[in-house]
Amino acid sequence: MGIKIVVGRSGTEMLTNEAGEVTSHLQGMFSRTIRLLEAGIKPLYVFDGKPPELKKEELAKRYSKRVDATEDLVQAVEAGNKEDIEKFSKRTVKVTKQHNEDCKRLLKLMGVPVVEAPSEAEAQCAALCKSGKVYGVASEDMDSLTFGAPRFLRHLMDPSSRKVPVMEFEVAKILEELNLNMDQFIDLCILSGCDYCDSIRGIGGQTALKLIRQHGSIEKILENINRERSLDFLNFLYTVTLVPVMEVNSRRITFLDNWPYEQARQLFKEPEVCVDDNQLEIKWTAPDEEGLISFLVNENGFNIDRVTKAIEKIKAAKNKSTQGRLESFFKPVAIPTVPIKRKGSKCVHRSPKPTPKHKMFSVEASNSSRAKIIGNMNMPILDLGSKHHTPLSRGVCFGV
Amino acid sequence: MLELRLVQGSLLKKVLEALKDLVNDANFDCSATGFSLQAMDSSHVALVALLLRSEGFEHYRCDRNLSMGMNLGNMSKMLKCAGNDDIITIKADDGSDTVTFMFESPTQDKIADFEMKLMDIDSEHLGIPEAEYHAIVRMPSAEFARICKDLSSIGDTVVISVTKEGVKFSTRGDIGTANIVCRQNTTVDKPEDATVIEMNEPVSLTFALRYMNSFTKATPLSNTVTISLSSELPVVVEYKIAEMGYVRFYLAPKIEEDEDETKP
Repeated sequence: MGIKIVVGRSGTEMLTNEAGEVTSHLQGMFSRTIRLLEAGIKPLYVFDGKPPELKKEELAKRYSKRVDATEDLVQAVEAGNKEDIEKFSKRTVKVTKQHNEDCKRLLKLMGVPVVEAPSEAEAQCAALCKSGKVYGVASEDMDSLTFGAPRFLRHLMDPSSRKVPVMEFEVAKILEELNLNMDQFIDLCILSGCDYCDSIRGIGGQTALKLIRQHGSIEKILENINRERSLDFLNFLYTVTLVPVMEVNSRRITFLDNWPYEQARQLFKEPEVCVDDNQLEIKWTAPDEEGLISFLVNENGFNIDRVTKAIEKIKAAKNKSTQGRLESFFKPVAIPTVPIKRKGSKCVHRSPKPTPKHKMFSVEASNSSRAKIIGNMNMPILDLGSKHHTPLSRGVCFGV
Repeated sequence: MLELRLVQGSLLKKVLEALKDLVNDANFDCSATGFSLQAMDSSHVALVALLLRSEGFEHYRCDRNLSMGMNLGNMSKMLKCAGNDDIITIKADDGSDTVTFMFESPTQDKIADFEMKLMDIDSEHLGIPEAEYHAIVRMPSAEFARICKDLSSIGDTVVISVTKEGVKFSTRGDIGTANIVCRQNTTVDKPEDATVIEMNEPVSLTFALRYMNSFTKATPLSNTVTISLSSELPVVVEYKIAEMGYVRFYLAPKIEEDEDETKP
């Protein structure tokens, strides 16, 4: 068995590229999946199911953002500002049901398995990874870590032209370096903002981490806040952060009263996922050549030569032998010597564990001289590791 | 305190040329035994092990076991500044974050000091067990380099098979196929021109030519190369460094996919 990558909600990201073109999602999906196959990776795509109740608010927000962007786009078109047109048109893209269905059909024709999550795709991905069915979860949504995906990959699906190295996170190492247990990590993520409940203004990743470290859980933090209560809350935050929090007003404090953090925590800890092997169809098969041609060329107007060439690529990739890795043969040993110089860093430079059957995925994670975790939409914004200037290849670096 | 004086400075220059394309950063380990290095390439497919034994140095002082993290590209830049006949001395103080390379011209009329910043690299050492190999091929290193270069113009991978007939290197690409067979040949004027094949069992393995070509950068270090193959192990491509040690490259083979792959 080679390595399978679960790609969570990849549909959304693909589609934002060539906005406007109806087939752009298929094009993106097609070429990127071929790229993965050629690299010896066996992808498994997971699609979102029904969103959890708690996420509805967040989804409504995204909807209104899209509406805003649509208005902005109209203005930009009127003003003729090319950059803005590009920017806003990307934001207006919405994945329709049809897009998703198209992608699923395409993948099945390519012989790539597709899994439909009962609810959140990230949660399903994490479950697949936990049960060892896949090597890692590739997504741009950091929620995957909160759902406990043991191994998480970012930038796997980035266009090759951007030359962004793939970044691998191991949740066990993150917890070790942050010195938190999984429950605390989940609380940390909720506190610094997630899809399921509003974040508290004035509390970002750093503050959240300090609060969790100091009190251990959201309950304890709230208890403390309640004891000191209302007006003292500003002072309370001040003592924790040593930064005056100007924006916390009384409205925000009352908001804490019915903050649904418990439900959010429940969603992260026991998400709705499918673990029944019989229901999960995880099988890589040969591509359906005729089906692909009729779908892409006849129905969607792709160039027949390009599609035929691509099919050849898929077939070649299937026959290609995978590159073995040294860890499958040689085991790590303790380093017998001490470094002449030792900075106070805690960088971990380690390789992923070999899979039982000597087959590893071989996308090269090249050196990134500044390992850095940068927040995206809704992840805790922890600027960790920016203190390290040591080149790292693979592994996570937390310099907290 | 560390002070290693190498009269044949060009050796170190050649060693760096052999390593720097495969590995970006690595820890050099110094002990009473010698000056050594073990490092993997970034995709963990190839590994290089270098040993320069202490006896090979004119002066070897290493008070305690030390490791020095260096960027091989930068180290190579500095060593390129040394003349081929220069004597090279590597010096480092305890707790210092630099290493000094001193180049002395043979006539002692020019002395150059290059100080390089060290790096903090946490790398993993792999334990490489001593193994009995199914087949060991010794051949002229230039010949091996030529074969790898030629084959890489046809295909991406090389199948190395050792049989009673000899050792066969073959590849396949879009334009066609290529097969090169080298037979055992010990009736030569110079012993280093011989091709010697010791075979316990026939063996056939597939490797990425890209790595093989990178290994052959070590050709200037030795006239002969030794290729050790076993079906369950990475290949070892060894270049001996006369009276000093070796550079050994390990390369994980390519593995054919199983057909029945329905269950993970």
